[in-house]
Amino acid sequence: MATKRNLTRADRIGYAVGGIALIVWALRRPSALRTGVAGVGGWLLYQGYTGRNPLFKPLGIEVNPQPALPEVAETLVVEEAITISTPRADAYAFFAQTDNLPAIGEADLQVLREVDGEELAWRATRDDKLMHFGSLSFRDAPGGRGTIVAAHLEYAPSGGSLGAALAHLMGRSPQRLVGDSLRRARALLETGEVATTRGQPTGHR
Amino acid sequence: MRAVCWHDKLDVRVEQVPDPQIINPRDAIVRVGASAICGSDLHLYGGFVPGMVKGDILGHEFMGEVVEVGAAVKNLKPGDRVVVPFPISCGNCFFCRRELYSLCENSNPNAYMAEKVWGYSPCGIYGYSHLLGGYAGGQAEYVRVPFADVGPVKVPGGLTDEQVLFLSDILPTGYMAAENCAIQRGDTVAVWGCGPVGQFAIAACYMLGAERVIAIDRFAERLRLAATVLGADTIDYTEDNVLEALKELTGGRGPDACIDAVGMEAHAHHAIAFAYDRVKQAVLSEDRPIALREAIMACRSGGTISVAGVYGGLIDKFPAGTLMNRSLTIRTGQTHVQRYMRPLLERIEKGEIDPTFIITHRMRLDEAPQAYRMFRDKQDDCIKVVLTP
Repeated sequence: MATKRNLTRADRIGYAVGGIALIVWALRRPSALRTGVAGVGGWLLYQGYTGRNPLFKPLGIEVNPQPALPEVAETLVVEEAITISTPRADAYAFFAQTDNLPAIGEADLQVLREVDGEELAWRATRDDKLMHFGSLSFRDAPGGRGTIVAAHLEYAPSGGSLGAALAHLMGRSPQRLVGDSLRRARALLETGEVATTRGQPTGHR
Repeated sequence: MRAVCWHDKLDVRVEQVPDPQIINPRDAIVRVGASAICGSDLHLYGGFVPGMVKGDILGHEFMGEVVEVGAAVKNLKPGDRVVVPFPISCGNCFFCRRELYSLCENSNPNAYMAEKVWGYSPCGIYGYSHLLGGYAGGQAEYVRVPFADVGPVKVPGGLTDEQVLFLSDILPTGYMAAENCAIQRGDTVAVWGCGPVGQFAIAACYMLGAERVIAIDRFAERLRLAATVLGADTIDYTEDNVLEALKELTGGRGPDACIDAVGMEAHAHHAIAFAYDRVKQAVLSEDRPIALREAIMACRSGGTISVAGVYGGLIDKFPAGTLMNRSLTIRTGQTHVQRYMRPLLERIEKGEIDPTFIITHRMRLDEAPQAYRMFRDKQDDCIKVVLTP
């Protein structure tokens, strides 16, 4: 399988323009240093052509150039899954409460699909602008080990894949938000509470 | 209340902090009767564990009296005397149901941090960095105990605080280290590190049927304890070549199992070998796996290496070739303490083991900064410090 694309269209244009600029600059007065710079330019140009930056691959950034909803031209994709030791009906009933959906950011949620025990899909808007859309699918874990809940979210990129990479490194990626939200669901369903240290004493920070 | 707070490398202070409150329905508040400084606390003290924040309250070995319980805690009531296991475990998840309590999926609020470093997250632990939840620890007058309906074990009246204190960590840790060796009758086990966990591992090896245990350390008082109280053979690695000595003592075959009760801050007698790892630890934050490497080299073919010492990150010069070509098995893990507390409490009640033999110092909570320094520098033959508020 080919590597997933992780650069947006805007990223690719930027990479191509930047790459060409570096090569042109290097050709105007060639030197050993500038030859190296031209190499980097060529590498950027190549990434602009393929739509893939290998440095972002470990971060799991994925661009979908043809999203299912027509309102956005392209999206960044978030996929997270969790296994919860609870029957499928209970897991579904929990997420069917809109507040429990693993949405990202402040937005109004509209449920698009409800297939009992199998799928929930929603879209999130702010001031009538589409922020993200997502779905949860539910299936039995093998061996009677509960329910696998798989989340698939797509959001309109702001700041392109570089922005997404920085959010990753800062620990504030949508992946983390969705992951934390699924973990919270598991904790509530399995233990009845969410582990926290908020409100505990500490010494001088 | 007063609590021992981490501030920086080699800087712990006793501070006035607010009393802990019930936060979740399954919480309890325990008034600490006794706490202990663990060898693994020295990794925090030395600044080798990432994710510590100024003001964090330390301590994961403690026992005391329940003073308040949350609405969902039905098995405890104020006045109960309990010992609390160091892993915070929900009792409901996939791992807890399989008695793998230190792998609880629901107790680490900072699971995403641990996942970044380790792939997946283990359980939360009291006073052991924000990577493991950032929970306030028990070297304090009071402590909040989450999932109190699962972890704490009530203590019978006939036993002293000190007799049960080590059920919180090091006695089960030593026991699990021995259990992981899959000891058969007639086996010889070598134990690297004769600190408290090493001592209890030696004792547990004999309980589980080992014929002979060989204790390895550099401190005379620790080796003496292992020899006189527990009946182990001893090797002082500053005097003897450990691999040669073990070969001789085991008839040229090597010990059937080897326990690493040392972990990431091992020392080596060879100045160069030590300096190599020490520099890399300082520069690259790598662990110092000197005992682990030696244990792998020393183990008999087809034998087991049981790792009880704590590691946090990466190591190098790992003898993978030895491991593979000689069919060695490695078993390890943070201790699933809840699994061992009741059986070991029974052994203490029956007098089969009195864990207090390792205590060398009894100090006040206020003296914690001196206690940490003394324990780290092994001054005054320090093996185990118990703190009382």
